[in-house]
Amino acid sequence: MTRPGRLTDEAAQLLTLSTEPWLSCEDCFRLMDTFVEAVLVDPDTTAFPQMRVHLRGCGACAEEAASLLDLLVEDRGSH
Amino acid sequence: MIPTSRETDLEEPVDWPTALLVPGARQDDALRRLHLLMVRAARHQVWRMRELLEGHGPELYDELANSAADEAVTVLLAKLDTFEGRSRFTTWAYKFAILQAATEVRRQSWAQREVTLEDWETWCDPRPEPEQEAEASDLASAVERAMAVALTPYQRKIAVALLVDQVPIDVLAERLGTTRGALYKALHEARGRLRAHLVAHGYLAADGRRGGSR
Repeated sequence: MTRPGRLTDEAAQLLTLSTEPWLSCEDCFRLMDTFVEAVLVDPDTTAFPQMRVHLRGCGACAEEAASLLDLLVEDRGSH
Repeated sequence: MIPTSRETDLEEPVDWPTALLVPGARQDDALRRLHLLMVRAARHQVWRMRELLEGHGPELYDELANSAADEAVTVLLAKLDTFEGRSRFTTWAYKFAILQAATEVRRQSWAQREVTLEDWETWCDPRPEPEQEAEASDLASAVERAMAVALTPYQRKIAVALLVDQVPIDVLAERLGTTRGALYKALHEARGRLRAHLVAHGYLAADGRRGGSR
């Protein structure tokens, strides 16, 4: 585990990231399918701003949303 | 290789919830198709994260994907009444398998690793000498010191484990007997306290951007 005095700039950025407006992991999961479909239609969509904030602050949710998007893109390509 | 949609024959029923709920041959077919969907999504997720499974190969990938798919089907069926039709059913279904598979991979990759929660407060000086203050003008040092004074011991331990030691949030939740949501909430509050402290001491601007008065 990390020892004192070794806080990297990257860790400092993550620790001080603004995660307002608040969105829980549970609500992120609830919205994930509609959010990803909106992104699929328009990657620059401004809908779901709270989702974007949450995904910047939660690596696990971000991975899962990126994976879902990737899977939908793959599906689209195979049909 | 991960099976494609064509290979798994994923032509979907028009009304998935009804097909899954009403007993009969149609339900059997819908359940079979749903399971194929979940296996496909779980395999997709396991393969995305396979670098975390160093030393293992396709046999374990399949084992994890199948286990995740089975569990995801159970969870989905229990939550079928929450499907509101705001997305395609398949998109809604995929997320259950992806969540389950990602959790299984993270759990497997940390299965042999210990998670120790250290409290930085024991080695961060909350009141540095003037020389230390000068040295601590960069954000990283300021954050270290802010952690000592602005966070509770629990918040410090969670923040360090998740963001410094990079323990996956679901692994940490499992080890602590809590939930991913509860840990994220604790992290959210810790971040808010750190930001407020850093703004008050001039390390962040009032709008929270880097580059306060120092």
